[in-house]
Amino acid sequence: MSDKIDLYGADWCPDCHRSRELLDSLSIEYNYFDIDSSDELKNKMLQISGGKNVIPTIVLTDGQILQEPSNPELLKALNLNPEEYKQDKAEKEIRDLVIVGAGPAALSAAVYTTRERIDTVILEKGVIGGMAAVTDLIDNYPGFEEGISGLDLSDKLEKQAERFGAKVEFNEVTGLKLNPNKTKEISLVDGSKLVARSVLIATGSDYKKVGVPGEAEYVSKGVHYCATCDGAFYRDKNIAVIGGGNSAIQETIFLTRFASHIDLIVRSSVKASDVLVEKINEFVAQGKITIHLTTVPLSFNGDGKMINSISLENTVSHEKKTMPIDGIFVFVGLNPNTKFLQGTNVKLDNRGFVEVDSNLETAIEGVFAAGDVRSGSTMQIASAVGEGATAALKIREYLEK
Amino acid sequence: MLKGVTIFTTNTCAYCQMVKKYLNIKGVSYEEVNLDENPHRRSEAMEISGALTVPVTVVTKKDDTREIIVGYNLSKLAPALV
Repeated sequence: MSDKIDLYGADWCPDCHRSRELLDSLSIEYNYFDIDSSDELKNKMLQISGGKNVIPTIVLTDGQILQEPSNPELLKALNLNPEEYKQDKAEKEIRDLVIVGAGPAALSAAVYTTRERIDTVILEKGVIGGMAAVTDLIDNYPGFEEGISGLDLSDKLEKQAERFGAKVEFNEVTGLKLNPNKTKEISLVDGSKLVARSVLIATGSDYKKVGVPGEAEYVSKGVHYCATCDGAFYRDKNIAVIGGGNSAIQETIFLTRFASHIDLIVRSSVKASDVLVEKINEFVAQGKITIHLTTVPLSFNGDGKMINSISLENTVSHEKKTMPIDGIFVFVGLNPNTKFLQGTNVKLDNRGFVEVDSNLETAIEGVFAAGDVRSGSTMQIASAVGEGATAALKIREYLEK
Repeated sequence: MLKGVTIFTTNTCAYCQMVKKYLNIKGVSYEEVNLDENPHRRSEAMEISGALTVPVTVVTKKDDTREIIVGYNLSKLAPALV
């Protein structure tokens, strides 16, 4: 038995540093012997280790000898619970970077930061891949000559980030504040807190609601915002799609796999890329899609259980009509996911998107934003991954300051 | 304690992947009913959830009570698995 733990190691040995940091963090005292400082110490270490050149070699107070133990092994030998330690450490530890969101901008940033060995936490409340993951086909992301499904692209982004050690944690951020020592405190929905030197807001955006009577009442009961999720319930049914932008047209084309007929309700005119317009016109020629221009929905109507009709108005002729319909898919633009930033010092524009400077830094120093959530973003996956990479490099500069 | 977990999914649904990912992380085994491959079971999913959506997760407890979670909703899914 001895009073203190003996730790034989060397300054160049990363595992020795890891074990020492663990003991330091637990305020456990130990004697540190640098085996490079004398032959005598090196020989003593060899004697203890049974002739093995392995460091750290640790002799516990009860005489137990550990060679190159992992942190959980060392904790177990010390009769401590590794799970409790993990939790305790998470609360105390200051992380280098917390990324809020796990869409393309976030995962692209994580690829860069984890490769640079910047300690990175990724928090996601919904789907890894974000809006990209629920998009049927992504046809304009460079490098995929045939296009790629949103789910596959998200999977690839996640796996690439994971290869360098990134890990997505399922949690929701509820608040963000700057501490006097310039670290940032991130509040989570489960009541816990994280402290980080830098933060990347990459929470993206979500589909907007139309805001007509019946919409909220019949969500998932005939009113839908995700074609790839719910389209399969409309095999051989008549449905309406609201919207005239790229997303609306892309998802309408996807829904033709299931629906027998689609009424596309467009407020003014179709504003989508030429490729999509050509494609949708083919379906119009086949009689599978009918486009109603200058038309807005007035209400979504149902029997209390499910949608059964939609009321529309032509904004030019002011003619009103009600059409029987089995389901309605809504794609009328995007709202930023920035509710958690309300009341913080992060500046938002009048639509709620995050304002940043040319370094992608927000009004709080060390807090950056990238992707769809950024004011003025192009809402393109290719732009989001570019911004994620830029933000990662700017964050590295900030952390080196 | 759990008796079983069943998830109704489709091939293209990202939220279904998330439910499966979450269950895998938690080490909870489940039966998957893919509605693209089993379209005749669509009405079953609709009856259980009262909605035309996936994922629908059905958690059956030891005492045969069932908890139905519609969509990917961690605040409901996590406590249901305890």
